[in-house]
Parts: sequence; structure tokens; C-alpha cells
Amino acid sequence: MKKVVHFILKLVGKLALVGLIAFVVTFTIYMTNAENKLIYYVVRPLLNKHYDAQVRDRRI
Amino acid sequence: MKATDKLIKAIDKKLERFDPLWQAEHGVGGFRSRYYDKTGVAKYREWRGVKDTFYDYSQWLKNLGSMAMMVGSAPIPCLKGFWEYRWMGSYLGTFMFIDRLFEGYRGYELRIAHMNMHAIVQSLTKKIALVLANDRRFGGGPLTDRMVPMDEVLPPLFMAGFKDLIPVPLQTLPEFIICDIDQHIEPYYIDVAESYGLPADVCSRCAAETGVAIDDAFPIFGKAFLTTNMPCNASEATSMFQRRRIKLPDQPVTMAMIHNEPGAHPYSTGELKNAIAFIEKEYGVKYDWDALFERARHMNEQNLIELEKWDILKTPYSALAGIAETLYRLYSWASVNGQEDYFTETDRKVIKLMRKAYEEKYQPFQGKTRHRAFLWGPSAVYYTDFPTWVQNCWGINIVLNMDSTMGHNMISTDDPEQAIQDLALFSEKAVMRHHAVGGWDNVNAIWEWAKNFNCDMVLFNDNVACKGMNGVHALMEEQARELGFHFIFIEHDLEDSRTVSRQEMRKCVNNYMSVVLGEQPLDPTIVEFDDSAAY
Amino acid sequence: MKDLKHLIYFENLLQEAHNELVTQAISEGMHPLGYNCYYIPETLLNLPGCFSSRLRAPRCVSTDIASYYMTTRNCPYVRSILERAIEGGYNYLEALFGAESCAAMERMEEHFVLIHPVKNEKFFSTIIDPPMKGDDNNLAYYKAQLQLKVVDKLRDELGIDVSEEAMKKAIEDHNEISRVITEIGDFRKLSNPPITGYEFHVIQLVSQVCPHYLILPYLQETLEELKTREPEPKFPFRARVALVGSEVDDPEFTKLIESCGAMVVADRYCFGSFPSREQIVIQEGETAFDAICRHYLHWNQCARFMDGMKIDQRHSEVKRLVDEFKADGVIYENMKFCEFWSYEKVLANHIFTNELHIPCCTIEKEYALGAVGQLRTRFQAFIESLEIKSIQGGK
Repeated sequence: MKKVVHFILKLVGKLALVGLIAFVVTFTIYMTNAENKLIYYVVRPLLNKHYDAQVRDRRI
Repeated sequence: MKATDKLIKAIDKKLERFDPLWQAEHGVGGFRSRYYDKTGVAKYREWRGVKDTFYDYSQWLKNLGSMAMMVGSAPIPCLKGFWEYRWMGSYLGTFMFIDRLFEGYRGYELRIAHMNMHAIVQSLTKKIALVLANDRRFGGGPLTDRMVPMDEVLPPLFMAGFKDLIPVPLQTLPEFIICDIDQHIEPYYIDVAESYGLPADVCSRCAAETGVAIDDAFPIFGKAFLTTNMPCNASEATSMFQRRRIKLPDQPVTMAMIHNEPGAHPYSTGELKNAIAFIEKEYGVKYDWDALFERARHMNEQNLIELEKWDILKTPYSALAGIAETLYRLYSWASVNGQEDYFTETDRKVIKLMRKAYEEKYQPFQGKTRHRAFLWGPSAVYYTDFPTWVQNCWGINIVLNMDSTMGHNMISTDDPEQAIQDLALFSEKAVMRHHAVGGWDNVNAIWEWAKNFNCDMVLFNDNVACKGMNGVHALMEEQARELGFHFIFIEHDLEDSRTVSRQEMRKCVNNYMSVVLGEQPLDPTIVEFDDSAAY
Repeated sequence: MKDLKHLIYFENLLQEAHNELVTQAISEGMHPLGYNCYYIPETLLNLPGCFSSRLRAPRCVSTDIASYYMTTRNCPYVRSILERAIEGGYNYLEALFGAESCAAMERMEEHFVLIHPVKNEKFFSTIIDPPMKGDDNNLAYYKAQLQLKVVDKLRDELGIDVSEEAMKKAIEDHNEISRVITEIGDFRKLSNPPITGYEFHVIQLVSQVCPHYLILPYLQETLEELKTREPEPKFPFRARVALVGSEVDDPEFTKLIESCGAMVVADRYCFGSFPSREQIVIQEGETAFDAICRHYLHWNQCARFMDGMKIDQRHSEVKRLVDEFKADGVIYENMKFCEFWSYEKVLANHIFTNELHIPCCTIEKEYALGAVGQLRTRFQAFIESLEIKSIQGGK
């Protein structure tokens, strides 16, 4: 019984830690607007390069 | 006061200098202070106080979850979609889009805004996944032949009678919604159309649709295509190009243009009946009136709630305000049209919150509203956060928008003949055409709407390429003068931000507010700024 | 060629909407009825006791006041018509029968009621909601609209006889003037026609802006004259073209094309004879009114039609004209700011050039022909390309 309680406490502790880390990471991303900076300065320019290089089947 | 509240208050006090509202009030910055020049990229997210910032964060996570689910539900098609379609890349700007829409939102208005926005995000992400997973270009999927591509301006509610089919507004993903998110995407497609000889003076929305067709950038699905004459001339014309490229049997559902006359409705009813017969033939399915009635009940409930929302919107105590109202109504009416339970549930939650805020005599935007304005005419799709800007800069609360007045008649839920007649009336009052076309009385209705909603101001969206609205320019101005409304023409080019930039649109308001009314801005940092490189 | 006897007279009739034949008909107790668009059947406006007057704004040089009302970003044709109305050029009209053929047209026609530019106490105006497809539902709607907003109005407001007999009489009148115009127009099919495109344009226009019963004798006489008119010894043009598109009511435009070296052999545009001069046939079981509505819906070639059948008809009809009138190429024109023809022009250019392999030139024009240097250059280049093609045996 003690072992089970211990296991559960450990699990809850781990989950709390993971949750805390997840919160810190996501909240940091959120507050620093990191995902938008990445998208605007890195991802979209790369994608746009690809789109500009596409050969489209343009016709009426 | 509880300890936590005290703590929050203390933190809020400590961090208030980061709040753009506080900065503007104290002359030490404002909304524009946290942006890199031109780009629309914020150095950090808006600090709204502890509670509101954490609420905003939680909603950011929620929306992120919807996007993760979209990719998770169809990972390969989504990747292929990003690779194939230029417009898919623009959806990456969604978070920036949401941030700029709700700048300055706090308390109840922020909560309602996010409820509405999440409804859109969860619906749209599912729709993207559905379309890409069944796009014939990527090999198709199990639902490819059960999907029905429809013109986005044709209200899809009547299609609910085909319970095994899925109507999908074709242009919404590659053109209409995405232009809201990224002002630079449609000029690319407009240029494609113009490179084939289309003049630059036609409506840019339809030019963009034509460009998408020529550029072969529409997803491919379904067995037959429903087009429409709505909202106006150019959309009738662009259908010629789309039907050629999509190469499916097509049926134009041409609703009466002069729709405010009794003779119009039998004709429009006939059009809907013909459309139903066409789908029955092309898809080999039978129309099920009970299936229609089930969804019509949802639409009716949503419209009843909408009418109650309007009653509260008439007062200064409406927590539903500005773009949160406009965008939600536009999407929920035009794209969803009673077909998703989530929107009925959202409406129920929103109206509860609105009632609560009303009982508390809660004034949105810290009670800083100076003018109540009705937004008339089709809005610039590339400047969706314009209502947010006019509130934050000049204290003009956009109470309601022309497109929010779309079909709100009740639809019979037990009599097929009555239901189809109700649907005809309902569908005639669709997006961008309910008041913009079909005769002077429709457009001139603005003054009655503005009066009923206790507005002292009318902002008239002046789409430079809209021949119908251009045709009433002087008469509208004369009416405003006669009836004593503040009246501002906001020039724009619907989907082409190069013709009239966002700053030029702002200038129309700035000039009126400073020169004619002699008012001072609430936040001087956003009177004039360059966001030409922003999404 | 020897000048046509009545050409100068016809040209003079085109100088004013309120011309001498219009004045004469009014003095004889006829009701003058204005319209702008083919969607309003000319035949209905020529019921006994009234006559049609298709609105033009000849010699319109500025549209300042109309532009105040409708902005400079709108169709120059509708602005010119509104300007002319404000100037008092249509004070003779007792009615304007409008059609929401396009947003600009509808807004212009609304101004006839909202700002009362026509100073005639009898004046009234209606606007029909015209159909966009050629199917039965649209035909029924078209009929209902014409009944309510044209026929009933004529009866109730002006006391016009709208009986079956009167309708049949109006059809007879239509068929007669159409027969004459068609016979005149058919001379253009000849390899060396005894008539120019400009002359025909003038003739077609007077048939639309003058009371039929007054202009018909002149047209009949002109037809007889053409039967014996000696053409130039050698075909004086370098090419033959069909002119297709939106509103062209200024024969100087046709003259401009012909001065560049191409004869306009077919006129498929608003105000042209295709469509407008086809025979109306009353089919079995039909009333005369039914026949008029069916006829006008069938022949209407407006670019606003959306269904595949009518879209295809638009192109096959031009192809038919090219074949019958032996045109070497097609000039597609659209009035500036015209949404419908802007799109149609792009599509048709593709279809004619790439699918039907008929040379095609597309241009955009103002209502009033002002500086025509650019147009002239375009036409000259196109005609030169047709000539080269012809020299190379069509390759």
C-alpha cells in the first residue's frame, strides 16, 4: 500500500514537474512571441522561396 | 478581498508599465511601442494584467492544440498542402492575426472574443484537414466524392438536407479567410489574373479568385460544383474561369439581385429547388428534409441568440464588440451556416456572458468609447483589425457591421415547402450583398440601423472597385449630412493592400477625427505607423 | 462609292437624343420611352401609341456632375447618360425602363428617380431584375418582371393597349424594321460590300433611337439604294473584322477601326445588330408576350449570363458571325470599369486565339472618344498581323 502511495506521489510529482516545465517553455514562447518571430523571419521566407520556384500549370 | 486577488493586484501594479493602455494614458508609449518597424512582429506579447494575460495565454494554447490536431489528423496531406499551395503558407500567420485582432481587449470582451475566435479556429482547422486529406491532387481520400464544392457566398444551409454529403465553400480557404490573415497573399493571385489581361479596376476579391483558378491553386474534390451570382457582377464573371478550371458539372444558383421585392422570392426558391435536383442527379442521393430541419433548428437558435445580442449591442454595456462580433458572425453565418453544433454552443455561452456583463453595467474597453459607429459596405479583407484600431486609436466602437445583418429570418422546421421558401429569403440576404446590391433602399437602410443601434457615426467602407457602392457615393454623403451622422468614407481595395494601404485607410479616419472633429487620439503611437510588411 | 442619300440626315439624327423625329412623334401624341439595355425588349416599348428611345449621350465631353454622384471609378457610359439627364437632354422622356444588368447601370437608373433629373411631370421609372441563365425558371422570372415593371406600367401609367393584338402589332413592327436592317447588314457578307461598317453602324443606331414608324421609310429607301449601289472597284480595306463587346453607340469608333484599314463586318455589341434585329416568331401555344420574352432571353448575349449553355452561345455566336461575314479576326472591346466584359474579354481572347485559332485583339475604351492615338496603334498593329497572316495563307 505504502509502495502504491509512494508510486502515485512520485508520478504526480513527475507530472507536476513536466507540467511546470511545459508551462515555463510555452509561456516563455508565448510572452516572447517566439513562434511568430520564427515563422516571420525563418519559416515563411523559406516557404516563399519554394513557392517562387514552383512551376505552376497556369492556364485559363 | 482574497489573498490571491491581492497578490494579482500587486503584480498588476508592478507590471502596469508594460501595459500599452497604461503607457498610452501616461504618455510613455502605447500599442505600437512593442513592434519592430513595418513588420507587425511584436517584440513580446501584450501585457494585459495577470488575469487577462493568462487567459490570453490559455487561449493561445487552445488554438495551438487545434492546429496540432489538424496536422495530427492528416499529417501527410497537411505537409503536402504546405508544399503545394502558396496560400497554405499564409496560415502560419494565424497567431499574429489573432494577436492584432484583440489588442486592447480586456475582461469580458477578451473572453467573448476568444470564445468566438476559437470556434472559428477549431472549425477552420478541421476544414483544412478535411479538404487536404481528400484533395484529388494528393491522391484523394474516402470523402472526396461526398464533398460538394460550393461558391463561398452561397449559404450552405440548404445543403444540410443531403446528410451524407459535405458542402465545402471552395474559395474560403485559398482566398477569403487567408486574405484576412495575410495581406500579401492575394496580390500574388491578383497579379496572375492581371497577367492574363484582366484589368486592375475590377473587384480585387474576384480577381484573386480568378488568379487562384488560373494558377491551379484550388483544391480538387467533389463530383459537381455549385456556383452563384452573389454577391455581385464580378463574382458572376469569375465563375466562368473557375468552372473551366475545376471541370466539374456546374450549376449556377442565381438568386434574385433585386431581392427586396415579393416577386424575387419565388424565383430564388426555384433556384434552390433546381440546385437540389442538380445535386441529387450528380451525386445520386436523395434530399432528406428531416436532416435539413435538424440543422435549421440550429440556425434558428443562432439567429434568435443573434437578435438578443443585438439588443445588448444597442446599449453601452455590450461585452461583444468590434471585430470579435464581425468576424465571428461572418464565419458562423457564411461558412458554417447552422451546420456545426459548436457554434450553437458558443452562442449560448457568449450570450450568457453578455447578459452577465450587461447586468453588471460593464463597459468594454475601459469605458473609453467616444463614438458608436456602424460599419457599412464590404470591409477591407486585408485589414481585419481595422475595428480594433479605430477603438484603440480614436475610441470609436464598431457596434455592428453590415455583414452581421445577413439573413436572420426563421426557417420552418416542419414544412418542406415553407422551409425552402424561408431558405430562399435567408439566402438572398447573404454576405456582401444583403445591403450592397439590389437597389437604393438596401444601401440606404444604414441610417435606420445606425439609429436603432444608437450610433452617432457611420464608417462607410469605400471599396474603390465596387461599382455598386461607388454609384451611391454622393447620395450617401448627402443623407449623412441631412440626418446628422458623422460620416467617413474609408477607401480600400478589398483584397489588394497595394492600391490603398492600411495606413491610407487609417488616414481617412485620422483626418476626419483631427480636422473635422478636432479630437485627440487615445494612443498617439498608432495614429500613423508603417505596417506595410506585416502579414 | 457614291454617298448614301440619307446618310447625312441619319448622322444628324444621332447628334441629339431628342432629335427631330422624336419631336415629331411626341407632337403626334406618341409616348417616348427610354431604355438602356437589350434586357428591356425594344418591342414592348413600341406597342401602339408609344415608341422606344435607346439612351445615348452624343457629344458628351465631361461627366463632372455624374462623377460627383457616382465617382470617376464607374462606367463612363452610365456616367455620361446621367450627366446628359442632369443637363436636361432627356426631358422629353415619359418613362425610363431600366434593368439591373450591372450594378453601375442600376445605380445610374436609380438616380433618375432619386435626384429627378428628367424635368417632365409624367416621367416615371422602373428597374427589372434580369435573369442570368437561359433556363425555364429564369424565363418565368423574366416574364414576371417584364409584366410587372413594363407591361402593367405601360397600361396603368400611360393607358397603352397591351392586348394580344397590340403585342402582335408590335412584333410585326419589330420584324419589319429588323428585316430591313438585316437585309442591309447582309451586304457586309459580300467580298466587296456596297456599304461600310460605319454606314451600317449609323443605320443600326438610328433604328434604335428614332420612332420606328418614322425612320422605317428612310431605311427602306436606303435598302433599295444599296441594292444598286456600286461598290468600290476593289475592296478598299486590308482586312475584315467582327467587333464584339460592351456598349458602342458612337459610330466614330467604327470609323476609327476602318480608318486603320479593317472593315467592321459584324457588330456584336450592345447597340449592335447582333443581337437586336432577329425575327420574333410566335410559336404554337405561345402568346405574343411569351414569344417576346423567350426571344429576348434566347438571343441575349450579355456577358453576365452564367450558365454553360449561354456562355458557349456567346462564343459560338461570334464564331458564326466570323464565318458568315468572313471576318479575318475579332476585336473585343469593353467599356472601362465594365466588370462583365473585362472578364469576358480575357476568356474570349483565350478561346478565340488558342482554341478556335481566330486572331483576336482586345481593347478597353472610354465612352467619349477623345485621344485615340493608343487605340489607333493597337488597331493598326492588329490589322497588320491579319494582313501578314493572310499573305502567309492563314499560317
